Amino acid sequence: MFHVTGKMIEKGAKAGVATTWELAKVVVPTAVVVSVFRASGLLETITAFFAPYMNWFGLSGEAALVLFSGYFINLYAAAGSIMALTLTVKEITICSVMLLLCHSLLVELPISKKAGSSLGYIFLIRLGCSLAMGWVLGVVLP
Amino acid sequence: MIALWEGFLQGVSGVVNIALIVIPLMIVLEIAQANGWLQKINRYAARPFRAIGVGEEGVFPLVVAIVFGITYGSGLIINHVRTGQVSAREAKVIGTFMAIAHALIEDTIIFFVLGAPLLLLLVPRLILAFLMSYIVYKRGGAPSGKGNDLHSP
Repeated sequence: MFHVTGKMIEKGAKAGVATTWELAKVVVPTAVVVSVFRASGLLETITAFFAPYMNWFGLSGEAALVLFSGYFINLYAAAGSIMALTLTVKEITICSVMLLLCHSLLVELPISKKAGSSLGYIFLIRLGCSLAMGWVLGVVLP
Repeated sequence: MIALWEGFLQGVSGVVNIALIVIPLMIVLEIAQANGWLQKINRYAARPFRAIGVGEEGVFPLVVAIVFGITYGSGLIINHVRTGQVSAREAKVIGTFMAIAHALIEDTIIFFVLGAPLLLLLVPRLILAFLMSYIVYKRGGAPSGKGNDLHSP
């Protein structure tokens, strides 16, 4: 059974545009904020502070900004940060895998709780998986 | 002032890149859904999930979460538990799985567009989701904690 109607295409396209718009509302402001951070010198301060910890995951200090915006805001914010920074492909890959495992915590943890799991438990599992995977990739990736 | 403009341009070009993939993909997803492909996938998808104690009824919310996102999956889980199709214990296993692996299409695209390799974006997430939910299953469900929304009226 396979049929395609104009209505399906319209509905899909609308969903796509809606998703893109939702994403634009976060990506663009984040990229602007990060860009201002960089121009003002604030980024260097943050980078210097987190550099030793980011080193555990094979990341530069700047990547802390990407991880924080992903963990607490969402993946689009993290993408906005990545776009405004100059990270290597290896760093982008490590950040991506870490963030896919653990992101949008302020929104998704309550959702997990609603679906019947304990908030603290899901938080530990997700952050634990993220940090462990980041460490593994930092060691393994060339 | 230049920094504002630069950041804006970087953000916009990123959004355009993602839009070029997201919009066609949403059209394909819509066609797939309208043709009932999701239900068919569900039938085949049921097997690997049996190992983590998820029955046929629980697979559908899980597949929905994996494809569309945790919000939709959770909505279905809440409904399935209420109607008795899924046990509270099963809900915890499913909840653990979908907390780690959800919206695999949308989330993956974001980072794929930025240059991360596809396999690394998908495989670790799925393996860890299976592993963690297997542990939760073997331990007899995750601790639900006080104020678990499923048990309060």
